[in-house]
Amino acid sequence: MTTILSIQQLKKRYEGGSTALDGIDLQVKEKEFIAIIGPSGAGKSTLLRCINRLIDPTDGSITFLGQRVDQASKKQLRQIRSQTGMIFQHYNLIDRLSVLENVLHGRLGYMSSLAGIFNRYSEADKKEAIELLRKVGLENEVYKRADELSGGQKQRVGVCRALAQQPKLILADEPIASLDPKSSTTVMDAIHRNCTEQGIACLVNLHQVEVAKQYASRIIAIKGGKVVFDGPPTQLTEQHTYFIYEGKEHEMFHQTKEEVYA
Amino acid sequence: MKIPIAHKSTQRQQRFFFLSMIVLFIPCMLYLDLNYMQFKDGLSRIPDIVYKMLQISFDELPELLAELLTSVIVAFLCIVISVLFSFILAFLVAEKTTPNRVLSNVLRVIIVIIRTIPTTIWVLLAVASMGFGPMAGVLGLLFPTVSFLVRVFAAQIDEAGKDTVEAIKAVGGTWWHVVFNGVLPSLSTTFLAMIAFKFEITVAETVILGMVGAGGIGMLLQDYISFYEFAPLMLGVLTVFTTLFLMELITNQIRLRIGRRAR
Repeated sequence: MTTILSIQQLKKRYEGGSTALDGIDLQVKEKEFIAIIGPSGAGKSTLLRCINRLIDPTDGSITFLGQRVDQASKKQLRQIRSQTGMIFQHYNLIDRLSVLENVLHGRLGYMSSLAGIFNRYSEADKKEAIELLRKVGLENEVYKRADELSGGQKQRVGVCRALAQQPKLILADEPIASLDPKSSTTVMDAIHRNCTEQGIACLVNLHQVEVAKQYASRIIAIKGGKVVFDGPPTQLTEQHTYFIYEGKEHEMFHQTKEEVYA
Repeated sequence: MKIPIAHKSTQRQQRFFFLSMIVLFIPCMLYLDLNYMQFKDGLSRIPDIVYKMLQISFDELPELLAELLTSVIVAFLCIVISVLFSFILAFLVAEKTTPNRVLSNVLRVIIVIIRTIPTTIWVLLAVASMGFGPMAGVLGLLFPTVSFLVRVFAAQIDEAGKDTVEAIKAVGGTWWHVVFNGVLPSLSTTFLAMIAFKFEITVAETVILGMVGAGGIGMLLQDYISFYEFAPLMLGVLTVFTTLFLMELITNQIRLRIGRRAR
């Protein structure tokens, strides 16, 4: 299998002087479903945002499909971003627009500025978008306003928007952190099934280790801006998890407790 | 001896403040040469003026209404043009959407400079270069209105925009996509409420600014005052009052409805 994303010695220091990433090395192969775990503030979110340059890295190199992301021009960057879908913790939908319009936004990366401004989406794109919504069980919500939906539904729209890009890679930043356990399962299922079916590689930030073990083909743990574990879920022992969440154990139990009550 | 209760330095500050007010008041009185006789004369004329004002004549009503319409149209044109300019400028100024930090800061400074110069001065400048009339009114009002709108729009973009901007950037959208497909749809109603509010203020401004030569009903009122025609002046004041009152009611309604729909 070919490597689609290669990260070398990635570093990010914020203006205040805090170091978020301290030399990350990471190779992502085609069709891999990778869960990134770690306590809050470990740098998971920064890592994902560096990959599509929503945050500019301080040092190191990122290569995506043979293109240097860190040195990309504005135009190249747009092209790279159009091939990487992103799913956000707070869904980041445009509340006042319809569900369908939000999904169609995934096509903007392939459109000119003018075509986008006047919403000239092709009929084929529209059909595809409706089909995606049907697949995640939102066929009756197509023309609702995005803010009329529940959290779980919103996130499924977010997933559809990312899929509408027909990306090679999906970056999911804590996609279920604001959801209840039941919606979490629906959303994770939707991401996992679609990525597997369409051969999309996926990087998911999670802080629930159990969820990560359940879905991922590979787990990466980050602590203090460094990779401290990288391997298949079966190799992630309890000693590992305790080390990863050292001093922040409560975060580890957070989800399991909720599941008990649910 | 009584027990003191006050906070020492606060008390000292207050005393100093009032003392300096009183000390300053006397030279100020002397400087302006305020004259008690003039005050007394004026006072005795008031009943006469009130009497004259109460003789409302409706003869001038058509002319007043025509000029009032001019004032409202000046305000309307000014707002429409300002909105066009400030839309684009606001996105260049707002931190979340600006393509270039330096550009954003330069624009911010320019806006501050424009805003520190009072509207009346802008209109006077326009009158000086364009001559009397509505043209000067629209042009003069344009500067302060644009800078006001840019400032509020930019503040709203910065307040509400982060998630939206990230969403559109992440799919590979252009700057225009971020603005027109992301931020604008989510803020359009807030913007509309702001525009309605500014329109109301601008109408009030055009009425006053007519007096310095910007055309409209203000010019007419100025004439009545200079020729001591108190009867039509009263009618003029009433017309202006009614218009502004209605305007306030309407824009309030608009803002209420928009607010309700936004939620």
